[in-house]
Amino acid sequence: MSTANLIILLSTISTGLILGSIFALVAVGVTIVYGSIWMPNAANGQLFVLAALFGWTMTVGWGIHPAVAALLVIGLSVPLSYALEFLLIRRFYDVPNRNVSYFVLSLGITQILAGIFSFTYGRWSDQFQLPPLVGGITFIGPLPIANNRLMVLALALAILAALFALLRFHRYGRAIRAVFQNRDAAALRGVNVRASYSLSFALGNAVIFAGGILFAFAYSFDLTVAWTMSITAFAIMIIGGPGSVLGALIIGMVFGFTQAAVSTVASPTIAAFSYLGAMLLILLFKPSGLFAR
Amino acid sequence: MNQRAILLEARAISKRFGGVVALKNIDLTQHRGETLGMIGPNGSGKTTFVNVISGHTRPNSGSVAFDGTALAGSSPFQIAKAGLTRTYQAVRVFGELTVRENVATALVDARDPAPPETVAEIADWLRIAHRFDSRAGGLTLMEQRQLELLMRLVQRPKLMMLDEPVGGLSSAEVRTMIALLSELKARCTIFVIEHTMKVIRELADKVVVLMAGEKLAEGPPADILADQRVIDRYLGSVDA
Amino acid sequence: MKQDTTPAKPSGGAIPLAIFAVAAFALPVVLSGNRYFAFIAGVTLIHVLWACGMNLLYGYGGLMPLMFAGLAGISAYTVVDLTAAGWSFWLALPVGALFASVAGTVLGLPSLRLKGFYFTLCSLVIQTVITLAFVYFAGLTNGDTGISQIPLPSAGGGQPLSALSYDLVLSAAAVLGVVVLVLIVRSALGRRLIAIREDDELAGMLGINVTGTKLIAFFIGSLFAGIGGALYAPYIGFISPRSFDVLISMNIWLMVAFGGRGTIWGPVIGALLLAPLSFLLQEYYTVKDVLYGLLIIAVIVLMPAGIAGGFGRTPRLPAPDLGVSPQRGSSK
Repeated sequence: MSTANLIILLSTISTGLILGSIFALVAVGVTIVYGSIWMPNAANGQLFVLAALFGWTMTVGWGIHPAVAALLVIGLSVPLSYALEFLLIRRFYDVPNRNVSYFVLSLGITQILAGIFSFTYGRWSDQFQLPPLVGGITFIGPLPIANNRLMVLALALAILAALFALLRFHRYGRAIRAVFQNRDAAALRGVNVRASYSLSFALGNAVIFAGGILFAFAYSFDLTVAWTMSITAFAIMIIGGPGSVLGALIIGMVFGFTQAAVSTVASPTIAAFSYLGAMLLILLFKPSGLFAR
Repeated sequence: MNQRAILLEARAISKRFGGVVALKNIDLTQHRGETLGMIGPNGSGKTTFVNVISGHTRPNSGSVAFDGTALAGSSPFQIAKAGLTRTYQAVRVFGELTVRENVATALVDARDPAPPETVAEIADWLRIAHRFDSRAGGLTLMEQRQLELLMRLVQRPKLMMLDEPVGGLSSAEVRTMIALLSELKARCTIFVIEHTMKVIRELADKVVVLMAGEKLAEGPPADILADQRVIDRYLGSVDA
Repeated sequence: MKQDTTPAKPSGGAIPLAIFAVAAFALPVVLSGNRYFAFIAGVTLIHVLWACGMNLLYGYGGLMPLMFAGLAGISAYTVVDLTAAGWSFWLALPVGALFASVAGTVLGLPSLRLKGFYFTLCSLVIQTVITLAFVYFAGLTNGDTGISQIPLPSAGGGQPLSALSYDLVLSAAAVLGVVVLVLIVRSALGRRLIAIREDDELAGMLGINVTGTKLIAFFIGSLFAGIGGALYAPYIGFISPRSFDVLISMNIWLMVAFGGRGTIWGPVIGALLLAPLSFLLQEYYTVKDVLYGLLIIAVIVLMPAGIAGGFGRTPRLPAPDLGVSPQRGSSK
């Protein structure tokens, strides 16, 4: 294989990994919230961008070190989640068919955030770029890769691994999973269902924020990524199986690679058509998703 | 009307949910005018059986014929239009609509809708006419069960399958319901599913005992009550 | 449980209809001196038509078709392309609307089996695909640039209709929309839809063909979307993929949810209130986005039954006689 082709191949693989891990993070966040409190969060893209924009303000606007900014942004998601939960989300815990109400609610939140962003950040800049987490370049074979992007990839994978371990092994993780599976049985076993709801909501959003801030370090972005990410995250969640963290992870990586590969040969619109088509097929023929529990 | 014509014929009905066998090779025949009772403990497959007959669940194997026509693959609404109707274990009416509107809904696609005079007459003997403009969700449980019966009767079905019609009722209400069902038998062939013999003993001409998805015994109530297998495995442990 | 024994007044009586018809036709005439206000009135009338279609599907049917705007767009683009190719507008209108209906029914068909959120999500995806298609097939739609200078149609070869005449056409469409909705709702179809909305499994058990009924409702609702779309294009004079995207669907939904789903006049009121608001805030679309987002949240949280729904009570259809005399007083 010629060096040029090798570079293209390695570049596609590396982009695929990075994008895939970001997609996986957001999709896992969305699926955790859906699986635990039955809330499909259409506003996930806006939250994703919110994290990125906060990061931009802190690093570019206030000169805070990128690593510190990242931690602050993710930390900020927690009070935000609890506020949202207190004001809006918890009213519906006992409502049947609350997933539809939540869905429309999240569309409302999407519209509000989109408006606010247009009004503020939209006026200040078209494109947003954050300073890198670390400097320098590493060579993988003939391909030069920014250490910054490698760092983003490493962090994303680390967070995903930690999440997996949390949900599978730690006490809180087990509680969330118990409530996932059977709310009443979990309550009988002594799990504080309401607390686990709040926790799941906060955890899911924190993961989305993590995805957003990491994405912002790796790539420059504009406000339109919000809507694209929302649809993508939903597509990943539905295809992987709503509530399935493993499904979100695997399908997220698949989407990342597909996007990386397709954008070298075809237009983004074709890519969009194809994964919307895939989502429709799953919705119509196997709504429980590919990795259904 | 040929009193002994076969109305419902189920042959070799089997149904599995994942690894759990809910029904195993059930054969059942009901004649027109014959009141059939089905008993069995909770989880023995009674409601699954009703779901198979009414079209809500597809059996893994077996066939069902209703009034001479095979029901294979028919959807619930087609089966309802053919004249086979059922009630639900947990009473089910349109809670947000009035009784009047519930009945109107039952009439709109009924197989053989009853004219207004007949509706009024049935409402009267079911003793629900005075509640006609109340919201169905606000009715007592007994009244809701009466509404359920009314909604089925105005469709003038050929067969009514009643899934635990006395569930949740007080003893006085149970007696009223048994009296209503005794009169009901004259208007329509009924198939009563219950988990105690109390109701079935007074109504049924023939009883089928279901146990863990299999037919344990079949015969007139007196025979069933005397059947040693049934007594050992079921009646002995339940307040029948 | 507290008993609701008062027989409620049925929705959609003849007198409000007469009042509405008179108002709808009078409004353009009264405002004909001031083009700006007349225009707002015209846009509002189109939204009344759309709200009726959305009401049929969501208010009475319980389905939330987020592809509604996309279907309006399909009709609009079809009509614009046909008239540009020489067709008479009045011939292109039914063709475009019918095309949108068929498209809506076909696209909606597989998703009719889906419940609640999955149906809504499917509809959202289809809307997104439609919007993308509008952008992608620029040969037919001129892509993101949009099509401008769309003229008002003529009455039959010759001069284009005056603004006032076209306004009256819009009035007629809005009034007709409400009349058709009333007729449908009071028919067996209406009763079936309400039953399906309340408990579709029970409805099926009572002999109602749930899928078939939804399909018919879909076809008719899409017709409303299509006719509105066809009328919209020449009136605004400019259409682009943005004119018919998911936010528009949400706005029309909001008119129904806010005004009161499952009533005849609730969504009309919703349209009368929200359409002018949307138009006036056009310049300040960020404010509009925030405001509409808040309204959506308010509707979900505070007013599940909308303004006309009386905060929770399901409105009534005229109830049939059935030989049973009305209940007197309350009994317990």
